[in-house]
Amino acid sequence: MKNKKIEKVLIANRGVPAVRIIHTCKDLGIPTTAVYSSPDRLASHVLMADSAVHIGEAPPIQSYLNMEKIIDAAKTSGSNAIHPGWGFLAENPDFAQKVIDAGLIWIGPTPDVIRVMGDKIQAKKLALKANVPTIPGLSDVKNVKEIRKWMKDDHVGFPIMIKAASGGGGKGMVKVEKSEELEQAFEQTRSEGIKSFGDGQLLVEKYIEKGRHIEVQVVADTHGNVIHLYERECTLQRRNQKIIEEAPSPSLNEDIRNEICFTANRLMREIGYTSAGTVEFLFDSATSKYFFLEVNTRLQVEHGVTELITGLDIVSIMIDIAQGKPLSFDKAAIHPNRWALEVRLNAEDPKNFSPSFGTINRMRLEPGPAVRVAQSVYEGAEVPPYYDSLMMLIMSTGRDRDHAIQAMDRTLSRNVRIEGVKTLAPLLLSIIRHKSFRSGDFSTRFIEEHMDELISTFRDRNSEDEVLKIAQYVAEISALGTQEWM
Amino acid sequence: MKNIIIAKPGMTPKKIIKNIRALKGVAFTSTGMRDAGQSDFKNRIRSYDLLSLAPLYNEMGLFSAECHGGARWHVGVMNRKESPFEEIDLLRVAMPNVLTQTLIRETNLWGYRPYAKNIIEYVVNRVDIDVWRCFSFLNDIRNMRTVAECVMKRGRLFEPAVSFTQSNWATDKYYLGVVKDIVDLSGGVDEIVLCIKDMAGVGSPKRIYELVDTIKQKYPDLVLQYHRHATDGLALPAMLAAAQAGCKIVDVQEDSLTRFFGQAPILAAHAYFEESGIPVNLNRSLAEASSQKARKWIGEYDWAESPFKGFDHEVVTHRMPGGAFPSSFEQAENGGFLHLMPSILKVMSLYNRIVRYMDVTPGSQITWVTCSGIVNLYDKERGSIGVEHVIELLNKLVEEKDRKFNLMDKEEQEELLLLFRNAPGDFKNLLLGAYGLLPVGWPDDWVYESAFGDEWKKKKKERKKQSPLDALKNEDLKKLRKELAEKLGDEPTDEDFILYLMHPKDALNMLEFREKYGETPLLLPTKVWREGLKTPGDNVAFEHWGKPYCIELVSIGDKHEGLIHVVLRVNNKTRVITVETPDAKKSEIRMASLSNEVGAPINGTAWRIGNPARGVLKVGDIVHKGEEVANLEAMKMENAINAPFEGQIAEVCFGLNDTVKEGQLLYVLEKVNERNTPIAEPHP
Repeated sequence: MKNKKIEKVLIANRGVPAVRIIHTCKDLGIPTTAVYSSPDRLASHVLMADSAVHIGEAPPIQSYLNMEKIIDAAKTSGSNAIHPGWGFLAENPDFAQKVIDAGLIWIGPTPDVIRVMGDKIQAKKLALKANVPTIPGLSDVKNVKEIRKWMKDDHVGFPIMIKAASGGGGKGMVKVEKSEELEQAFEQTRSEGIKSFGDGQLLVEKYIEKGRHIEVQVVADTHGNVIHLYERECTLQRRNQKIIEEAPSPSLNEDIRNEICFTANRLMREIGYTSAGTVEFLFDSATSKYFFLEVNTRLQVEHGVTELITGLDIVSIMIDIAQGKPLSFDKAAIHPNRWALEVRLNAEDPKNFSPSFGTINRMRLEPGPAVRVAQSVYEGAEVPPYYDSLMMLIMSTGRDRDHAIQAMDRTLSRNVRIEGVKTLAPLLLSIIRHKSFRSGDFSTRFIEEHMDELISTFRDRNSEDEVLKIAQYVAEISALGTQEWM
Repeated sequence: MKNIIIAKPGMTPKKIIKNIRALKGVAFTSTGMRDAGQSDFKNRIRSYDLLSLAPLYNEMGLFSAECHGGARWHVGVMNRKESPFEEIDLLRVAMPNVLTQTLIRETNLWGYRPYAKNIIEYVVNRVDIDVWRCFSFLNDIRNMRTVAECVMKRGRLFEPAVSFTQSNWATDKYYLGVVKDIVDLSGGVDEIVLCIKDMAGVGSPKRIYELVDTIKQKYPDLVLQYHRHATDGLALPAMLAAAQAGCKIVDVQEDSLTRFFGQAPILAAHAYFEESGIPVNLNRSLAEASSQKARKWIGEYDWAESPFKGFDHEVVTHRMPGGAFPSSFEQAENGGFLHLMPSILKVMSLYNRIVRYMDVTPGSQITWVTCSGIVNLYDKERGSIGVEHVIELLNKLVEEKDRKFNLMDKEEQEELLLLFRNAPGDFKNLLLGAYGLLPVGWPDDWVYESAFGDEWKKKKKERKKQSPLDALKNEDLKKLRKELAEKLGDEPTDEDFILYLMHPKDALNMLEFREKYGETPLLLPTKVWREGLKTPGDNVAFEHWGKPYCIELVSIGDKHEGLIHVVLRVNNKTRVITVETPDAKKSEIRMASLSNEVGAPINGTAWRIGNPARGVLKVGDIVHKGEEVANLEAMKMENAINAPFEGQIAEVCFGLNDTVKEGQLLYVLEKVNERNTPIAEPHP
């Protein structure tokens, strides 16, 4: 790729990823363009960017997935580069290609790599070829009959996972516990695949019980330098979506850590990866075996914890790589020297993950020492029902895991207050206080297995809420006068 | 005289009794925190105000502070939205030296029905009170057994009360019998205080002297307390007479709280007793301070005072207890029959000579409801002439014919035989012995015939002689608790459960109120509690969980579409609070609540009605258990909603692409009507 200077970046995204990228662009002195759908007219990322272009109505297909509109927006706003963030078009090879064809700089891996890795079936094949262990399964499944046959032939029992070949981010992925559920799960996965990713191709895999989710962050330039930035542990998930991530992983010893990181590096080198990307593994702590899951050909939500332990800015690295610069550091320069933890403060009911949308009436945030926050909401902002529920990432660091957790505990329990929508804060707090979490003993099923226990430890009252109840009363009686029941 | 600490929480009953016996003169129980408010202010005096007296009580030298029980419990739950449990917790901190005292009914406790033994045990064992004044409106001492056992076993002081009335049948001999039962129940006289409960304030000084003297002669070591209401205007001389005859404790209240139906004023009582040569164990200057303190806030309760003002010596005939005055007049006022009150009181004075028991809860309610019912019925059917007529009729029976039914004319007999036909169920239960034995025997047969009509003989035969303690089966506490948990949607505390056992509906309302408004009832000054903030700039400051808060009114907006926006500054931060007025348009979302209703499990968009195999579902379609009937999308995740059972769609309550709320009703299903054959199979 030839050396080309980025003049202005259009961020083809909204919410937390858009805000995150704008921050680095500001650090680098690069102007930015935001795009927005109608309900996002006054959203955080729009207010932060140097210019903003309206690209359509609320449904993503009309706005944040609308490739032509976005590329037009880049041109009209004088942007010569596009960063896709995560989600939406981030892993869409056609979009990457269109951006390049339009003469713009694509801040991400090449369309070819995205295409190959985006197909779970293909990716698995490549991993096998590169000698990376994969989960036993069946590719390109056409119907339920095939699944049943495979299960019978290979002696596989329930549960199993059905995945959309093009899925990701926890979508298009269904765990099947019982034979009776198979048909509906199959249909649901296919439908989600078509709806979210425009592709109904499916694969099915054996379900690894008590698995842990480990991923390795890799950065690669266009000059053949591939460097891993160590692993992240993302085991804590709900509905296959991560909600707490940390680095380093508490479940790996030095030998396995080095082996996994090295394996990831090798795979990325072999597929000719460029930009920042992640290799995901499922780690079976009982047997210390790990299996390739997929390559995420994009910036990931949880990249921040890696930035915190290494001191690097991954978005900045992506921008450098996109401009054809070689990596400015080598492997020997990477010295992780602390623990970092991230929680996703989604706008959801912490008891059942039901999305909670509405107006953020009040927001108070006092991070205090050792805490980093990436947020896409502000006091008075709307959380619209059309998009992802992520509205804030809170990260904390410490010299070790306990200290990082301590700083997170302080933040979640006292220093963040959001009114108007429900957030996962009570659940996140219960998790980081849980004995098993503290001891590092948990699997991807931790939340479903401990949900009742976690809910039972929610603190149900805090002084600020209680005083607001009193204010409510004062307001009512002031407006309505003495009541009959008194 | 200086105050000596004669009793303190934690002291054994034996030690307390020893101290009182050794006391020269008398000690006071202050009813300022309970009966004073009940008798003259409809129990509306809030903990917020009463707590200001507690530090003064702490050093005053009182025997005890009656701060709990009676109807204060129920009104607290119902109107003040305070829990008696939190009130005691607060008082314990504010007056750790003072014995807390309750008033409890022997089987009805603080509720309005006789409770089974296991409930009495559960409740009495979990309420932190030092002195348990327990009474039976029938003086059926058998009924006190469970409360007595629990209290004495806990090492708390049991104070059984003799319900007192002045009447030709309420003789010394009668009372000695009651006292004997009590002494037997309590295992002697060394661990109890015996109370003479003159709840209507009818004991003449001479009669009270005689009674106390008689009891003291028989039981010289028994510590007696005289609880007396002031209704007849003779409280102070009667109390002095009691003390002169050997009574050691009398009940008083702040002078500034004294109106007509509560207890005598403490400072006046102190002065009168001391002048008469009976020393009082009281720090007078603290009592003065307490009276001044109460004067500061009692003006906030003018509205709660009874519309019936002034002493009423006629109480000696109608016998309405002081504690029932304000509530009865309130009911009369609300029911629009305040003008009938003199007639009702007259009927009560005749009624209580036909059916003889003590006019105190629940007896006083039975009397009140029965008599006000009779008068209202006559008033409705025949007007004031009718009311006069029924009074004449009863007067003739009681006064002229000495209650002898067969001496009445045929026509009058027929009328009397219908008198109690519409009486409340509790009156009929009383006749059937559901509350225990009546003090001086059952009423005459005609009363049964009047109440039960043709069935009267059968009913009379069923009359129980057992105490309700023995007659009632134990209840399933686990089941009751589960029932509450379901209503609350949460695991109740022991305290919530007890509140629920006493007053199920009102307790639930209060818990709901507290969920919504938090500690408001404990923290707001009474003026703000009742009226809110009036003028921009007005503020209310308080401490909550150890930190200061301030709520200031900025503005109250105009009503618009039934809503009023109130702007407040809460700790300097401006907040706009939307208040719904009663005429606010309610765009109510129907929620699924019944078992045949299918609700949305999450908030989301209903992007599919039915399922791909079958297409859109409509009313009349039959769905199969587990069949997908709708799909909700929320934040890009699909959520299938399955039919909970095989059924026929009776109603589809949402439209395609509607945004639905968690719990919102989607479908109403009906059991498949069997005649509706053939059952349609879903298309493959």
